[in-house]
Amino acid sequence: MQLEQEISTYPQAAEKATPRKVKVISPPSFSPSLLFSGLVELFWYRDLFYTLSIHRIKVRYKQSALGFSWAIVQPISLMLIYTIIFSIFTRIPTGGTPYNLFVLSAILPWTFFQTAISSSASGLVSHTGLITKVYFPREILPLTYVVAALFDFLIAGVILGVMMAYYHVALTINVFYIIPILLVETMLAAGISLLLSSMQVKYRDIGIAMPLLLQLWMFGSPVVYSYSFVPHRFRWFYVLNPMTGIVENFRRVLIEGIGADLSLLGISAGIAVILLPVAYLYFKHREATMADII
Amino acid sequence: MIDLQFENVSKRYRVQGEAQPKGSGLLSRIRSSAGGKKDFWALRDVSFSVKRGESLGIIGHNGAGKSTILKLLSNITAPSRGKIRINGRLSALLEVGSGFHPELTGRENTYLSGSILGMRRSEITSKMESIIDFAGVRRFIDIPVKRYSSGMYVRLGFSIAAHLDPDILLLDEVLAVGDLGFQEKCKKRIMELHEQGTTLVFISHDLSAVRSLCQRVILMQQGQIIGEGTADEVIQQYTEQASFHSKPQIRGEARLAEIVNVAFYDKEGNRATSFSTGGPLTARLEYLVHKPISEGAVSLYFMNIDGGIATQWTTSLSGSSIRMEHGRRSVEFSCEELGLQPGVYSIDANIEISGTREEVEWQHGCTSIHVDSDKELRGQFYMPHTWREPAESEAISETEVPAASRL
Repeated sequence: MQLEQEISTYPQAAEKATPRKVKVISPPSFSPSLLFSGLVELFWYRDLFYTLSIHRIKVRYKQSALGFSWAIVQPISLMLIYTIIFSIFTRIPTGGTPYNLFVLSAILPWTFFQTAISSSASGLVSHTGLITKVYFPREILPLTYVVAALFDFLIAGVILGVMMAYYHVALTINVFYIIPILLVETMLAAGISLLLSSMQVKYRDIGIAMPLLLQLWMFGSPVVYSYSFVPHRFRWFYVLNPMTGIVENFRRVLIEGIGADLSLLGISAGIAVILLPVAYLYFKHREATMADII
Repeated sequence: MIDLQFENVSKRYRVQGEAQPKGSGLLSRIRSSAGGKKDFWALRDVSFSVKRGESLGIIGHNGAGKSTILKLLSNITAPSRGKIRINGRLSALLEVGSGFHPELTGRENTYLSGSILGMRRSEITSKMESIIDFAGVRRFIDIPVKRYSSGMYVRLGFSIAAHLDPDILLLDEVLAVGDLGFQEKCKKRIMELHEQGTTLVFISHDLSAVRSLCQRVILMQQGQIIGEGTADEVIQQYTEQASFHSKPQIRGEARLAEIVNVAFYDKEGNRATSFSTGGPLTARLEYLVHKPISEGAVSLYFMNIDGGIATQWTTSLSGSSIRMEHGRRSVEFSCEELGLQPGVYSIDANIEISGTREEVEWQHGCTSIHVDSDKELRGQFYMPHTWREPAESEAISETEVPAASRL
């Protein structure tokens, strides 16, 4: 045991020549400058964000026999049950695509969204110990769950690719629409998870309502049926759902190979772009007193 | 160069009127906002500053506002009013092993804990070997920490924190954790940082540690600063403040007797609150007897900071009891060589019926004394002793036991 280790022999840190940054802690306010300072702090703590995301992904599957394959089991089993119900018990029109492929291509983006939101909602509350003892930008916690969900999405994407190959579905140039679609979806998921996780600190019943809410939301999105299946008189209301534009377009560009419906995508993008900064501002405002009430 | 500044900081906690579970549902929140909500001001208009390289101590009773200052400085919570300015990187050595996840290995947890404490990944990588060596866990570094002994856990946690190189270091009772060897390591590292010019803020109950570490000390009480100065001045103020205050402990039936005053005196007979290990001291306890007690006993208890009893003076030591007649009476204890180690001791006093455990009166924390030592003596208490160098053939000398203290 090296209890007599001389501490002064260990590497001296970087010289103090680096200028010190001044931090001012003031009472919580709602000013937009919070956004800017929040992002600066977040960038400063990017290493922690990276480390915690890796940690979140690892811990999910450590010590489990199936490991990462759980990310595949969920979408596949959903696909099977939906195919049985909506293609065998009853028939929902898919415009020619085999139903299992049709529904899987929507399950993927939906599962990403659902997992991101439901797991991050209690992200703060489950780290009460950390929050009351150490400072770091708290938004890192819910956002790591969004990252982990994205990781699961990519793994499940492999299965989708296999199925597409099996059904000889060719990729067209429109597949590149996936990038903006995913971007909008990630922004939307991030915004909602910031909002829900900070609200749950004060109102614990949000966590209880989550499963029900997401269940209803799923049926309100074109996952097990397509957008064209929705009667016209409901459409004005239906398009207000930001997930409509995301799920429908994901399926369109990937499976049908046609271009994205820009008006639908535009609505989703508009909602996401407005929601994210507002949610972040709300989060930073609540962050100041989180440790007092958690 | 000011490193730290508190400007008119106030912190308010909203306390619910009736007992309510935290984070209750939306509906009950709306209902309760109509009901009584009390405000508790943990800090009231507090201002102070710390210069670069200075070491500041913050002392005060529980509830004085020390841990609120701690939380504000480490940005765990925000002030309700006022501003806090921090110039440079502040690291708080509050809890060792924060952020450790049991499933991850020591190495992975070092990265996790290190980044939570504010280090860059590259910084952690370059210091990794030194962190492992300092903690002495090289053989176990790649094993999940749930298999670590509690000693290893604490050593690794502290080792990571010890390799932080902050401009300002915030410390609390973390020094009280771990075994003696480990505590020595902690103290040594902190002294080193201080010598390198790190600004230090130390919040503690351990007055001897505060005295050895801090140049300047602030005394807090009920959310305000009531004293500021050198360590000696403020500690003196703190202990003198705790003069006798009577708090009736036994309610209900009329007490048979009542303790009126407890005071300590030095060998010249003057009132004092500071004494030395190995030195003399005297205590006088005055009490009022309402109903005569035929066989009574009076005791004084010296209580440690953590609430345990360090030692006791009692009249029942000599085997005889006191006949307590009606009226004002007193008992005087004296001791030639105080065995207590340096520290602050709170004094409890009681009167009981001899032979039984029946308490007549009991005063908790009625005053306190401060013990110092000009000699560095180790251990929990001082035992009076003499020494000589005997010749080879001599027998062991018989120690003379003074009659008064024979049990």
